[in-house]
Amino acid sequence: MFETTKITEWILNHGISQTLLEIIIAMCIVATIVSITRYIIGSKTYGIYAPIILAIAYSYTGLRYGLAVTFVVVLGSLISYSILKKIRMHYITRIATNYTVISIVLIAFFILIHRFPLGLENMSNIPPLAFISIAALSDFFIKQYIKKSLKTSLVTLLGTVSVAIIGWFVITRETFSNFALNNLWIIPILAVLNVLLGMYKGLRFKDYFRFGFTAKEDEK
Amino acid sequence: MKNSFQKINKEVLGLNRRNQDYIRPYNFPSSKAIADNKILTKRILRKELIETPEVYKLIRDKKQLEFLDWDSLPKSFVIKPNKGTGGNGIIVFYGKRKGENEWIRPSGTSMSKRDIILHIENILEGRFSMGSKKDSAIIEERVKIDPLLKQYSYKGVPDIRIICFNKVPVMAMLRLPTKKSDGKANLHSGAICTGIDIGTGITTYSMHMKKSPFLSDTYEMIDTTLDLKQNKPLSGIQIPFWNELLEIALKCQKVSGLGYIGVDIALDAEKGPVVFEINARPGLGIQVANQTGLRWRLEKIEDIKIKSIKHGIRVAKNLFGGEVEESIEAISGRKVINITEKIYIYDKKTDITKSSSRKKNNKELVRAFMDTGVLTSRIDPKLANRIGYLKAHKKFDKSNIPENFNTFKKAQEYIDKNEKMICKDTDIKRLAKIIEDGEIRVRPVFDVPFKMSKEYKTSEFISSKSSDNIYPITIGRADLFGYLIDTSNTF
Repeated sequence: MFETTKITEWILNHGISQTLLEIIIAMCIVATIVSITRYIIGSKTYGIYAPIILAIAYSYTGLRYGLAVTFVVVLGSLISYSILKKIRMHYITRIATNYTVISIVLIAFFILIHRFPLGLENMSNIPPLAFISIAALSDFFIKQYIKKSLKTSLVTLLGTVSVAIIGWFVITRETFSNFALNNLWIIPILAVLNVLLGMYKGLRFKDYFRFGFTAKEDEK
Repeated sequence: MKNSFQKINKEVLGLNRRNQDYIRPYNFPSSKAIADNKILTKRILRKELIETPEVYKLIRDKKQLEFLDWDSLPKSFVIKPNKGTGGNGIIVFYGKRKGENEWIRPSGTSMSKRDIILHIENILEGRFSMGSKKDSAIIEERVKIDPLLKQYSYKGVPDIRIICFNKVPVMAMLRLPTKKSDGKANLHSGAICTGIDIGTGITTYSMHMKKSPFLSDTYEMIDTTLDLKQNKPLSGIQIPFWNELLEIALKCQKVSGLGYIGVDIALDAEKGPVVFEINARPGLGIQVANQTGLRWRLEKIEDIKIKSIKHGIRVAKNLFGGEVEESIEAISGRKVINITEKIYIYDKKTDITKSSSRKKNNKELVRAFMDTGVLTSRIDPKLANRIGYLKAHKKFDKSNIPENFNTFKKAQEYIDKNEKMICKDTDIKRLAKIIEDGEIRVRPVFDVPFKMSKEYKTSEFISSKSSDNIYPITIGRADLFGYLIDTSNTF
């Protein structure tokens, strides 16, 4: 246990558990990280929901387990979609079938890990909801794959997982977590920061690569 | 490096600024709703007599699909989602297989009636629409490609994107389908984008998206078409109906009410320009195709009051035309100048290489005529007097030089004999024999500092008072090295 400030103490005594408060703070932090990566760097993610859920899920599973399940989910989705796209069927049923296939792949994966741990022991101790949250990534991945292309979907997946890893790193630091819990003013500060990011008109970091031609003209 | 970043910041329009400074304030939700709905766009454009592909069938739900009369459809048609984005969900059919319920796609593969029904069902379920909302499917006329542009594209229909802002066409590009883009004119699918000079409608630079797995939005410059049996150079293509295309784009802006708009126009072999769609959030790849930024162009016209469509086109051509010349300059290393150009003539004392000296001394703005028929440049004696050669002229006039010579040989003999004496203690550099008003004469040559097309230099000018020359300065071949003369702009 750590010593809490009066305001935190008051909140904790009024029906909000410490875990819930931690998750709420984590949500604000990861959401801000998504804003920064989108509007300053120019990296794409599957919206704002997917990286938040992934980062929080990773904080429960641990990064190693979380990434392993992410890999299995994406691989499962890819295999399932490659097979399903050859079959003439409706869009929503295709997505639903994909989920069913992933469930089978995940069960097989957990059995395999139980038999051959491959450095992923104690997986059964992890809350199942965290795994389900990671499995939801399949929906985002396949939808973008269907609508755009495999390349676009993979690039976005990479952006989403990268942001989730950064989020996981920040929210799992005990010093930072304790600091945030005892300094709840950071929540309105994050809100202000997001408003400022929302008003940012400058070029994104990625734009410098995309539009580097003006500089090249000078070199000529 | 710092300067490069500053330059990009100043010139290029990024997504953040596009959304905040142009889309939000200038594109109202009601106008965006028109642009996002292809059927509504068609209706509004048709009212203004703007051509759009004819709609054969509009399918709103599965029941309508069930009762669709397939036999009433022509052999070739296009299926597209009403609220689709980025060219997703569009399928083109070139014809029907004889005796079969199968239609042929641009790639040569065919699609059965069942497959097409499934595709339409996917459209209705919102697979290709914005936000995956329920949508309608449009079956419309297939545009027959203009024979000129057909030579440059792989199977699909090329289109011309024109971005307009404040009633001025700001930038344009030609999009050419490739094998990689599967006949689509979408840059992200792999189509070629070619910049177009707003002034002339001639293509300039061409770009193609790089095959990089992670940098999804980076382009590489290309010179010729891709994947065709005989690849052709992409720069220098004159887009047909250019002025008409600019007019149509501005009309679309007017009727849709979009302040910042991207208009996609195709050229039909029979109908001429046909508007494919209007875009309320046009992408920024057009900057890459034109190798110039949108930001400075938009800022330049933001406060101009445009009175009419013709006025808007005139402003665009004057402000943003001339990319062809820049392109030629980049390729050939030569600058393009007009046949008459305004140039600065400096006082004779000016050290033209030093900016302090240029600022200190007087200069005069005059119109010069580019004449490749003469070697040495000419200056009107009155102008030469004004820049400090009055005394030199007086001494020359007192030298009793014959008014004219019968032959060049005699004039040269005279120069050889008297040049040193006449030029002594004056600013006359040498004497030259020229034909003036049909007679062979000997005239003085001066060093004249001048600025032409951003270039400062001092050169020899013959003082000549030819009565048929209306320009005070004639630039000869000796000073035209490194330039290409555009004869289209005489006045």
